[in-house]
Parts: sequence; C-alpha cells; structure tokens
Amino acid sequence: MLAAPDAQEGGEPEPALLPGELAFCALLLLLSLFLLWQAHGISGFESLTSAGMFPMLAAATMVVTGAVFSWQSLRRGPSNVSGQGNWQAFVVQITPPIWVGFTLAVCLYMLALPRLGFLGASFLFLLMSMRLLGSQRWLLNVGVSVVTLAAIYGVFQTIFSVVLPKGSWLQNLFR
Amino acid sequence: MMQALEFFLMSWTDPYLLFLTAAGTFAGIYIGAIPGLSVTMAVSILISFTFKWHVNEALTLISGIFLGGVYGGSRSAILLNIPGAPAAIATGLDGYPMAKRGEAGTAIGLTTVVSVIGGFVGIAALAVAAPALSEFALKFAPRDYLMLAIWGILLVGALSGGSLVKGIFAGALGILISMVGLDPMTAEHRFTFGHVQMTAGISYVAAMIGFFGVAEVLMQLHELKTRAVRQDVSRIVPSWARVRKHLPLSMRASAIGVVVGALPGAGGDIAALMAYDHAKRTVKNPTRPFGQGAEEGLVAPESANNAAVGGAYIPMLTLGIPGDAVTAVIIGALYIHGLKPGPMLMIETPHLFWFIVGSLVLANCFLLIFGLTGIKLFAKIVETPKPILLPLILVLCAVGAYAVNNNPVDVYWMLGFGIFGYFLKLYGFQVGPVILGMILGPLMDKSYRQAMISAEGKPAQFAAEFLSSPLSAVILAALLLTIFSQTAWWRRWRGTA
Repeated sequence: MLAAPDAQEGGEPEPALLPGELAFCALLLLLSLFLLWQAHGISGFESLTSAGMFPMLAAATMVVTGAVFSWQSLRRGPSNVSGQGNWQAFVVQITPPIWVGFTLAVCLYMLALPRLGFLGASFLFLLMSMRLLGSQRWLLNVGVSVVTLAAIYGVFQTIFSVVLPKGSWLQNLFR
Repeated sequence: MMQALEFFLMSWTDPYLLFLTAAGTFAGIYIGAIPGLSVTMAVSILISFTFKWHVNEALTLISGIFLGGVYGGSRSAILLNIPGAPAAIATGLDGYPMAKRGEAGTAIGLTTVVSVIGGFVGIAALAVAAPALSEFALKFAPRDYLMLAIWGILLVGALSGGSLVKGIFAGALGILISMVGLDPMTAEHRFTFGHVQMTAGISYVAAMIGFFGVAEVLMQLHELKTRAVRQDVSRIVPSWARVRKHLPLSMRASAIGVVVGALPGAGGDIAALMAYDHAKRTVKNPTRPFGQGAEEGLVAPESANNAAVGGAYIPMLTLGIPGDAVTAVIIGALYIHGLKPGPMLMIETPHLFWFIVGSLVLANCFLLIFGLTGIKLFAKIVETPKPILLPLILVLCAVGAYAVNNNPVDVYWMLGFGIFGYFLKLYGFQVGPVILGMILGPLMDKSYRQAMISAEGKPAQFAAEFLSSPLSAVILAALLLTIFSQTAWWRRWRGTA
C-alpha cells in the first residue's frame, strides 16, 4: 500500500515526495488561480455582499494554501525513487496497469449504463472487473453478480421506487 | 401530566405504531449502513410514503428512520471506511483501524451501546430543556454561524492527522463546488460555464459517494493481494466494565451532541467531530493512539451524533428551524401533514410533542435490539475477497449516486470526484473537508452576506463585530485555538510543558 505523505509541520523529518506529487500540487495551484479568475468574473468587486464575493474569498484561500503546500513540496526535494525515471515511477507506483484497467472498466460501465440499462451494464461490468482483479472462479463470479443485482434491483426499483436505467439500445431493440 | 404520559406511551401501546417504529428503525439502520445512502436520503425517500398516512403513523416511522439512519452510517464507516453519512466521518478514523485488526464486532457493539446512551441523553434534553435551549440558539448571529461552519471544516482537516494547510484547501474547494449553480439571492450564474445543466448545482451525495466510495475502491486496488482480516464477532455485546469505563466520556460527548444538534444548521456531523476533538484532548490514556483504533475515538462521535438527533428536534419543534438537513426534510413533511412547526406547535398541540418524545424513546430501544443483532452478516462483507467486493461496492455507489435525482449525470460526477479523490488521498489530502465544505458552503455564503450587510458593508465594522458579543468571542477563540494547535509552536510548547 502506498503511504500517503503526512505533512509534518513539526520538527520531524518529512517523507520523500511521491512520484507526480509536485506536479499534482502545481496543478491544484493552477486550478485555484483559474477558479479565482472565474469567481472574479461573477460580479467583480462591485460590492462586498455580491454573489461573487464569498466564492472569491474561498478561491483566494485555495490560492494561498495551494501556494504554501506547493512550496512545501518543492522544498522536500525529488521523489525517492531509485533507478527509475519520474514517469516510470508514476506508472509503477501511482497508476499501475491494474488500476488503469479497472478505471477504464468503470468509465466504460458509466458510459454503458444509459445504453445497456442497469442490469445489462452492471452484469457485464461485474464479470469483467472481477476477472480483471484476479477472481478466477467464473461460476462464483456469475452467482454473486446475479444475486447482488437481483437484490439491488428489488430494493431500489420496488421499495424505493427508483427507476433504474432501462437502456436505450435494448428499448430500441424490442420496440 | 397524566395526559402527557398518555401521549408519551401511545406508540408503545398501539401495536401498529409499535410495528412502524420498529420498521422505521430497522430500515434506517440498514439504509444508513449502505455506502452512499445517507440518512437524509433514507428519510427523503421513505417519508414520501407517509404523506397519505395519519400524522401519528408518519411521525413514528420518521423517528425510527432518523435515529436508525444516524446510527447505521457508522457501520459502513467501521467495516469499509466509507461513512454512510457525514456524521460518521469521525467514526471511521478509529473504527476502520479496529476492523482492519479483526475487531469489527467489538467496535460495532460498543458503537451501538454508546449510540443508545447518546440517543437517550438527546431525547431527555429535548423533553426537559427544549424551550431554554431554543432560546439560547436564537442568540446566534449570522457571523456565529459563519465561524461555526469554518470551525467545523478546520476540525475535519485538523483532526484527521493530516496537514492543516491541505485541510483548509480541501474545505475551500468543497465550498466552491457548493457554489456551482444559481446564486440563491440574485440568481446570477456561478461557475456554470454557460451550461444550463450546471445551474442546478452539483449533488453533494454524488460527490460524497465519489470521494468516499469510488476513491476508496481505487485506493484498495493497491492492496488486492492483502488477505481479508477475519472479523471477530463472537462477542458483540460489550462488557459492563467496558461500558462503565467509557460512560463519563459518552455522557460528555452526548452533552456536546445535544448543544451542537440544537444549533440550527449544525447537526450530527459537526457534533461528532467536536466530540472526537474533545476526546482527543481530554483522554490521556486511550486504549490505542487516536487514529489507530482507539475505542474512545468511537465512543465520543457516536454518542454525540445520536444525541444530536434529540438536539436537532429542539429548534425544529419549538422554532420551526431545521437543526440539520434531515430535520429540514422532516419540517417539509410536517407541513404536508398540516402541522406548523414552531412556537405555536407547542402551544396548540402539546400532545404531539410528547407523542414524538415517546416515539423517539421507543425507537432508541429498538436501536439497541437491531444494533446488536445481524452483525455477523455485516462482518462477512469485509471477509469477502477484494476482487469480488470492490466491483460490487462500485455498482452500489453507481446506484446510490443515480438514485439521488434519477440522473446519469450524477453518476459521471461521482466517477470524476472518485478519480480526483484518489489522487487527493494518495498525496496526503483529506477528503472529509471537501464534503463538509460542500454541505456548509451555502450556509456560510448566506451567513457571510448577512453579517456583512449588518456591518453596513464596512470591513472594519465586520471584523469588530466578531468581538462584539461574548458568544462570538468564544467561538472565535475556539477557532483560532484549533488553527494554533496545528502549528509547530504549539507542538514545541506542548513538548516542553
């Protein structure tokens, strides 16, 4: 498990940067500046009670704190990765292949939900991702998927009256 | 007096009302325990069934769902580190480390008992001190609400053991996310980027599921090969000695819960965090260090958030002001049932007040029964191999986010926040302050503008008013102390003291 770096503001030695941490901090700082600019665009400085004033205060807080932790990260020096380039270390430690594969599967699932419907998309996602994560027993995977989906469908659709996506492709097929 | 007792016992003696209270408590616990289904959502959905019912039937069901839902959120926090509701964020800080060591049964048993204790303290406060506490809450000015909300966010950032600077950043980010949409006062577009779909804002439930559910699943991918810890659920009911040991802390935390719960806008979430902070500061020898599975880290927030339920009813019934998001939904339901929560409710229909108190006491008794049973099934969740468990949680998260508005866009938001939350967590940012910022952002915006208007738009007068009343000064001092306690100076001073 990757250890999240604790920012030790006391006198203890601080842990080395994780791969990509400095870039992430810089991106957050850029995001804060963009949001401050957007907040200013709401109503400028027309009044201290305008619609944009409180968002500007919040965004300014983000800019200041973003600058502080970016500076702290910069001072902590390069990430402690022996014999690996920064990009390679990022791929290995932060976004390993299984992480990328699973995240892609989740993205596909989200895109498939309105098209295949909840039951179809979820069933395919469960089977695919269980296999991807290393569960080799197909029968168990199918059984768990069917039982869980039946329970979720029953509880949400019947008891809570939540209309789960039916799937535009399936509806067109049976029209 | 006899009439009050008669109404108090009504839900105990009527079999149908008894059944509805039990059903509401049971449903509240299990819905609250499902990751992504908050107690607000449970109350919102289940309350819609009651609109055609008799008011007494509706009130008993609501009482059960509210108490059960607040408690149920702790189960997913302990077993999966995914709080069922913001009120359970603090519970996961020590509950999850206990579950990782196989002590989920002990954690849930202790949580149940102290939740019931907290619940009784809250209900007793509601019955005895409702009018007095309501008057106290009335003294809070908008600037006090603003400071309370800032304090709440700071506490999450400071308490979770991470960097305060990153905690403040995360809180401010949450506030900005809550600003997306139309300004409630002037209807100006804020951060909508010209998209009509953005004018409705971003659902905090979708964000909460993303930051806590999806991000946790993505984090767990690094631990796929770690074998699931076998949970010891053979002894769930805590020993009397253990309960007695924690009773003083539970009572103090319950008192915090009642007072904070009674403050309009500040519900069980802030109460739980404040109680956790109190425990951290006052308990010298916890069972384990805080954040690593201290029993005191469970006792304090769980006593407080259930005590806050009784506290939240106080301003709701006596002033018509919601104590938190759930009571806001309940107030809406009471109006639909033809009741007008507020001072006149106590004068015109005092019997309803005692009926509600009686129903809450009954629901709290059911909480003890249902809370101490069925844990083995829940514990099995964490023993499930991760390659099977993680995809299942992901599907549950997707359904939870979709169910908020029946809108697939919320599912996309959830995924986006989940991936963003993964990187935040990985690089040492706490996601709790983001969620709290999202929930408290609108209140802070409104309070800031009201406070500034009352200071005639003059920044110097605005700043001076923070010292104008003892109440504001006390909150300001507490806020500053929280910031100061995170600095190196404080640590050095504590080290030499």
